[in-house]
Amino acid sequence: MNSWLHPALFFFAGSLLLPFFQGKARKAILLLIPILAIIAVALAEQGIYGQYRFLNVNGVFGRVDKLSLIFAWVFTIMAFLGALYALHVKESGHHIAGFLYVGSSLGAIFAGDYFTLFIFWEIMAFSSVFLVWYQRTRKSLDAGFRYLLVHVFGGLLFFTGMMLYYGKTGSFAFNSIAPAGAGIAEYLILCGFALNAAVLPLHAWLPDAYPEATVEGAVFLCAFTTKTAVYVLARGFSGFEVLAIMGTAMTVFGVCYAVIENDIRRVLAYHIISQVGYMVAGIGIGTHLAVNGAAAHAFAHILYKALLFMGAGAVLYMTGTAKLTRLGGLYKTMPLTMIFYIVGAVSIAGFPLFSGFVSKSMIVSAAHQEGRLWLMNFLNLAGIGTFLSVGLKVTYFAFFGKGEPVQAKEPPANMLWAMGITSLLCFIIGVYPDVLYVLLPFATEYRPYNLPHLSEALQLLSFTGLVFFLLLSKLGPEEKINLDVDYFYRKGTALFLKFDEKVIGVGDTLWGELYRTLGLSALFKSAEASYGFDRKVIDGIVDGSATSTVGLGSVVRKLQTGRIQTYIGLSLMIFFLVVLFAVI
Amino acid sequence: MKLADMIGTLRDNLKILKMAMIVYLAVLVVIDFFLSREHAHYLIDKIYAYWAVFGTVGCFLLIKFSKGVAHLFLAKDEDYYD
Repeated sequence: MNSWLHPALFFFAGSLLLPFFQGKARKAILLLIPILAIIAVALAEQGIYGQYRFLNVNGVFGRVDKLSLIFAWVFTIMAFLGALYALHVKESGHHIAGFLYVGSSLGAIFAGDYFTLFIFWEIMAFSSVFLVWYQRTRKSLDAGFRYLLVHVFGGLLFFTGMMLYYGKTGSFAFNSIAPAGAGIAEYLILCGFALNAAVLPLHAWLPDAYPEATVEGAVFLCAFTTKTAVYVLARGFSGFEVLAIMGTAMTVFGVCYAVIENDIRRVLAYHIISQVGYMVAGIGIGTHLAVNGAAAHAFAHILYKALLFMGAGAVLYMTGTAKLTRLGGLYKTMPLTMIFYIVGAVSIAGFPLFSGFVSKSMIVSAAHQEGRLWLMNFLNLAGIGTFLSVGLKVTYFAFFGKGEPVQAKEPPANMLWAMGITSLLCFIIGVYPDVLYVLLPFATEYRPYNLPHLSEALQLLSFTGLVFFLLLSKLGPEEKINLDVDYFYRKGTALFLKFDEKVIGVGDTLWGELYRTLGLSALFKSAEASYGFDRKVIDGIVDGSATSTVGLGSVVRKLQTGRIQTYIGLSLMIFFLVVLFAVI
Repeated sequence: MKLADMIGTLRDNLKILKMAMIVYLAVLVVIDFFLSREHAHYLIDKIYAYWAVFGTVGCFLLIKFSKGVAHLFLAKDEDYYD
């Protein structure tokens, strides 16, 4: 081990500290931990750190290079903004879940082998689900369980692939895989990663769970899970043609749903699929410009998508609803929130001077350069849909619109500050793209600001605006939900329960009857015999050991306080002890 | 509330706003005719105002398609899963 300090350590340490502090001290910790982590990322030098050997596996905790560093930068910055936005939240469990989630995401992007990656991958799933559950509604509870089940399934795909890969190569090393040599093992790993990146048709968990999360939790959720997946795809699977096609399909699919959804957070959730689609497509195209574009877009996307979720969350927090049908006229009562939301909206739409323009155009240009004109046209079609739904539809129906304005106030100061700083970052990246480009994995000569480009972007966006106002009457939000592939497992489980009740249940009762009449009498006889043996012989032995068990039980009972934060903390401590022993 | 007042004024003068937008769109298209096509590789790079037409038609189709599919079978009442 040498001088590198893993940024995730700050978050794990912070999550252990949090339960012991209240009020101002806790707020200080919440802000200080991400700042320390940002400093750790800034000081990190490239190299391989934290190698360990455990169960005959050669593990690497810290592969620090340009690709992992750019994600670490944006993750830690986002952690600070998210913590600032969530500063008013009282439950320390919520903050702990957030920190564990960020920490495990950082663990995942620095992991140099599948084994280490898998461990952090699972901690991510299990800590993030609490950000859904803390909403404390029946819907969020159900959605959280579905989220967890889907991610366990994804984890199993990854795990199976990883084991087959080990069988094939004798190593867990996580490196770039050539598309030509990829077999079932590699494709299983790819599917596990793709599920977290919400690649079709493994995407339904995202719009199912994120809109049910807490106002503050959704800001964290939209940043880390999908972008960790983008990182691992970029690391392992760049140049896979299937990703280029599926990514482009995702971009269009996401905006189609965004056009018809009513709840702002559902619109934004579908937009994550669309935007991650750009990154997946970039990775699939696989040239240096395209992969650079994917990384740059992940960076820009985390900031503006968080900003949009902050704005939508602020509306939900202050008005009690995020449904467009029940909103309108908020420009009068929440003007600052509106401005920040619009900055997020023009950033995601790719307006010149804002962050989306300098990152998204890299991927579109890469498709153009490679002569993939179909991909390029579909990516631009998705760009139209992005501006149409997030930029125009939501802004118009929530902040303007006809009818009586909804009564509301601006959100608390910490929320406004978080939105303000994020807006500023989106603007800075848009105006000085070099602050982002120096972080990219490959050296780049790319210049987003040239005349043909500006003309292309402005024509697309402006004429989208024209059609929006022409078709405004057709675009009104409706109090409906839209089916997605989660239909199959949501209705499917109901069908299974019915099958269980009607078919298996009947068989079970029959079997039970048979057992009672035939089996029981014989059983009684033998039971009598063994009872006698039990009382005379066994009891003596058992009594002795029972006393000691009772003693141990009371120790365990003290640990089992029923508080979630204690459980998370405890399991993490055990995890660290295991790792510690492994390293030593 | 200064910003709210400004927006209110704009809403009261929608006609002027509309005219300004139409002029802006026209200017965008006109500018495209003067841009150099030297570095154009593909046909779509050479067509004038390609992205303006693409934006208009694309946006129209996107709205029609999405709303159409929603009304056809995707949209359900909010308590559908309950």
